[in-house]
Amino acid sequence: MGTVADNYKDAASADAKIVVRDINWVFHLKRTRTEPARDFIALEDINLEVKKGEFLVLVGPSGCGKSTLLDILAGLAHPTSGAVYIDGKQVSGPALDRGIVLQGYALFPWRTVRQNVEFGLEIKKVPKGERKAISDRFIKLVGLDGFADRFPHELSGGMKQRVAIARALAYDPDILLMDEPFAAVDAQTRENLQDELLRIWEETKKTIVFVTHSIEEAAFLGDRVAVLTANPGTLREIVKIDLPRPRTNSDIRSSAEFGWVRHKIWELLQNHQPEVRGAIDSRPVADAISPSAEL
Amino acid sequence: MSTGTTQSPFFSWSRWLDRSSVLLFFIIWELLPKAGGLLETFIAPPSLVFKTLWETYQAGELLGHVGVSLGRAVSGFIAAALVAIPSGFILGGSFRTIERLVSPVLRFLGQLNPFSLFPLFIMFLGIGELSKGAMIFWVCIWPILFNTINGVKEIDPLLIKSARSMGTGIVTLFFKVILPAATPGIFHGLKMGSGTAFFMLIAAEMIGASRGLGWLVWNAQTNFQIPQLFAATVTISILGLALNGVFSLLEKALLGWRQNSHA
Repeated sequence: MGTVADNYKDAASADAKIVVRDINWVFHLKRTRTEPARDFIALEDINLEVKKGEFLVLVGPSGCGKSTLLDILAGLAHPTSGAVYIDGKQVSGPALDRGIVLQGYALFPWRTVRQNVEFGLEIKKVPKGERKAISDRFIKLVGLDGFADRFPHELSGGMKQRVAIARALAYDPDILLMDEPFAAVDAQTRENLQDELLRIWEETKKTIVFVTHSIEEAAFLGDRVAVLTANPGTLREIVKIDLPRPRTNSDIRSSAEFGWVRHKIWELLQNHQPEVRGAIDSRPVADAISPSAEL
Repeated sequence: MSTGTTQSPFFSWSRWLDRSSVLLFFIIWELLPKAGGLLETFIAPPSLVFKTLWETYQAGELLGHVGVSLGRAVSGFIAAALVAIPSGFILGGSFRTIERLVSPVLRFLGQLNPFSLFPLFIMFLGIGELSKGAMIFWVCIWPILFNTINGVKEIDPLLIKSARSMGTGIVTLFFKVILPAATPGIFHGLKMGSGTAFFMLIAAEMIGASRGLGWLVWNAQTNFQIPQLFAATVTISILGLALNGVFSLLEKALLGWRQNSHA
């Protein structure tokens, strides 16, 4: 235990909130009619640090293991080797210090907006009166005042995702983990949600790890963008985004710097020739991820 | 986005129009026997049927028969639910492999006709209450079991993931996520089970019973008491409607959150 802690201290910078050390994720593929059984390396030697209050984006093609990495951060999946530290403590399972927002909303359909937002508070055993005050605040924060007593099926996709964000924020986690949260909504709604998310982030000062396959989204949202490539899933490079804050879609998208950053990430993904080693999907990365998807 | 529920006024012409078919039915029914001949012999008009019902009620017999039938149906149904729902959770949730293994056998058993089994029930359990109870139990358990298994299996894994990410313990997860998420499936099974239970009970009582609504029908039939036959049949229908009503209310209360519910 002592050595692990020492390794951690040696490697981590003082203001690191999340430290990811030597993560490997290997899973066993069963034999099929055409192929023998083998191990598939989904993540290989991932090392990463996220600073307190930072907005880090993980971008990469499908199959690069970015969602798996997020699950590991959430404590929902255990890496084959390596470890994740939050505030210097090793993650052993899910806890209320991390909130998670998934692409599929995952709202409880039998609960109203308010009851959904209060779910984590119930787990936290916050008394009822206090719960209501908190849920009121976060429902307002995501712009859903007046919808507190609606059921999820009465809401649009964008509104559902707002509820999911409010639910993850309500129990006041330090870290927000978001797995392609805006992938299922239309382009217009997505831009609105991106603007809103940045506003909420600046208001709440959370540390955010955001997974996306959209280069545009990554460049617009992140302080830094970690570019992952597939087969095996490796961290190729971390791109620092120096675009001024606060950002909104209307003034950033047309700027020259934005175009340059976008192009740089695109190149990192484009120029990567996937090795055929243990490849499930040997399509060139460029096919799997379209840089112009959001244009 | 839906606009929510629209409140219809208590009295509306369209609603009365919708229900006028019932009135029409009673009028035709009343007039039909007046045509004479066979119709007069075999069809009792509603006026006579309800008179007979009232007399049976006054004689203190009707409620007894209703009580006996309901008691049998309810106890068999509850026993089936108590066995089928937990088994469904176990097979659909924790032990999928066992479920895969036993599923064909269960499906086969579910298809066995209860009437062909009734003689067996009588042989093993006697002619008394137990054989009728076993019959109801048998017809209820399958729809409840299969629908619970499906309900549990079809729970969106994202809901579980999302709850687990908040550090939800297993007991809380069960009561706050798994149980409510499986409720539509379970409820569907209970509704199907209750419908067939009542149906089968009447038939079982016609085969082997000395009390109950089915016996009342059978007794009327053997004694050629047409008004009593009709009276018993009408009582059974009204009870069936009441049963549906109870389940509709339950559905509204438990599953009002669903998109396609009429809440």
